[in-house]
Amino acid sequence: MNRKKNFRFILPIGVLFLAAVAWAGSPQILLSPGSEPSTASFAAINKIFTGDWQQYGQLFTSWQGGLFNRIFLLVLTIVPGIFLLHYIVIGAKSFSHAGTPIKFFGILTRLLHWLAALSFSLLVITGLMVVFGKFLGGGALIMSGRSVHLIAAIVFCLSAAGLFLIWLKDMLPMPHDVLWLFIMGGYLSKKKKPIPAGKFNAGQKIWFWLATIGGGVMAWSGYNLYSFAAPTDQLRQMAILHNFLAAALVGFFIIHLYMSLFAIKGSLTSMISGYKSSDEVAVMHSRYKI
Amino acid sequence: MARMKFLCDVERCIDCNGCVIACKEGNQVPVGVNRRRVITIGEGKPGEKSISVACMHCSDAPCIAVCPVDAIYQREDGIVLVNKKTCIGCGYCFMACPFGAPQFPSGKVFGARGAMDKCTFCAGGPEETFSDEEKRLYGQNRIAEGKVPLCAAMCATKALMAGDANVVADAYRKRVFARGSGANAWGWDKAYGKK
Ligand code: HEM
Ligand code: HEM
Ligand code: SF4
Ligand code: SF4
Repeated sequence: MNRKKNFRFILPIGVLFLAAVAWAGSPQILLSPGSEPSTASFAAINKIFTGDWQQYGQLFTSWQGGLFNRIFLLVLTIVPGIFLLHYIVIGAKSFSHAGTPIKFFGILTRLLHWLAALSFSLLVITGLMVVFGKFLGGGALIMSGRSVHLIAAIVFCLSAAGLFLIWLKDMLPMPHDVLWLFIMGGYLSKKKKPIPAGKFNAGQKIWFWLATIGGGVMAWSGYNLYSFAAPTDQLRQMAILHNFLAAALVGFFIIHLYMSLFAIKGSLTSMISGYKSSDEVAVMHSRYKI
Repeated sequence: MARMKFLCDVERCIDCNGCVIACKEGNQVPVGVNRRRVITIGEGKPGEKSISVACMHCSDAPCIAVCPVDAIYQREDGIVLVNKKTCIGCGYCFMACPFGAPQFPSGKVFGARGAMDKCTFCAGGPEETFSDEEKRLYGQNRIAEGKVPLCAAMCATKALMAGDANVVADAYRKRVFARGSGANAWGWDKAYGKK
């Protein structure tokens, strides 16, 4: 066979083959090599790298970029400001310590409470060190603050769990708590009228629930921030939750400090000795049956 | 001043992971940290695509916005760098980053995170240029030597491009033009907006 003949033979077959490929309509083969990046493949890549960044990533970025530390600043200035005003205008309540003292807090209660108090104070201090880190220069100081935060969180969880079990029964909501809230616990007047409250008043109950259940939520979200085990979008939600709840906790912590250290004289000694004066119980916890 | 940018051409990347290794070895990156990674979608199927991504060195970088200790900063040429001596390892930058770029070696206490590590565009760090400290903490400073980053330099298919944004965009535009119509490069809308 000469060359020409050979060519005449191959050409029709080649044409036929190309036609068959085109007819089989396999756009995958024709399009895949060297095709343009399609929106669909970009979307698939996005899913792996950036996730739904617009949903929580953007929210977290804008809130952490300014809202959170402004909220903390507000809580740290306004709450003490209000109570300073209260202290000046209305002042502390003091009670006679003449009558027989009433046993209020057992030894285990007091021990656990001071453990919780110490660890929570550390949590607040080290937490705020992170929040206002740029004013402290960052670096090793705040890095060790984070380690303290972690250890304090564990101590707090154990002691708060104990307090939760000990106080649960006395902290259940009662109808007279609504009354207490209406008169703001009698703290807006200097008179000593009997206040509607059992062993604990509505304000103390709010602090109890916030500190224990809220503390549990803080530990759970904090653990996720520590381990980084959750998907990124969930970490963002955890960080948002941890910050908002921390702001609420810090606010109520300041209230608790004011009430127990300043507003009622002798309150602090009751958490040390375990006893309250009968005069104080008769007024501030008028419905407490011993 | 030139604005430095990365661009990965998904039509050329072949998932060889050379960029990842070049970066990891050339910069002596901490154990457990990969500054760059390559992923593949639709593996083994027609239309399979791979892409290599590290830090995009964003305009209005989200990581800078959230850092509670201002450890991250952006150079005039757009390169985003972290100061490891200021960083407290809180991880916020990772949560803010759309590209998952910040990485964390585990620290000394209870396995809590150590200082953040991420792609430096091979521009070292805040320490004195070419100092041992800079090399130890951040790796090479190839930008100061007038070279492109390790990853882009070694990319055999030249899928990964790095350098002056205008030059990179021009090279990519020519490719797209030669291939026919096409969309923008992946990630550029998120990382750079119109800047
Ligand atoms: C109620 C008790 C609290 C618990 C149990 C708790 C627990 C935790 C834990 C386990 C972490 C992760 C720590 C780490 O990654 O090293 C964390 C992080 C954090 N916490 Fe708390 N926390 C509490 C209260 C607070 C408070 C009151 C604040 C702020 C005033 C705060 C602010 C922070 C911040 C900013 C972080 C992220 C920074 C970091 O990871 O170091 N926390 N928390
Ligand atoms: C340094 C911080 C703290 C101080 C100085 C402090 C002080 C006190 C004092 C003096 C009392 C007795 C109040 C009274 O009945 O007259 C008390 C009660 C109480 N404390 Fe604390 N405390 C601190 C932190 C905490 C923390 C972190 C918790 C969270 C679990 C907590 C939970 C409670 C509860 C639930 C009561 C009983 C109800 C009440 O009085 O509110 N305290 N605290
Ligand atoms: S890619 Fe992430 S780490 Fe890099 S500049 Fe953008 S937000 Fe920051
Ligand atoms: S991990 Fe370091 S760089 Fe990232 S936000 Fe926290 S302190 Fe800033």
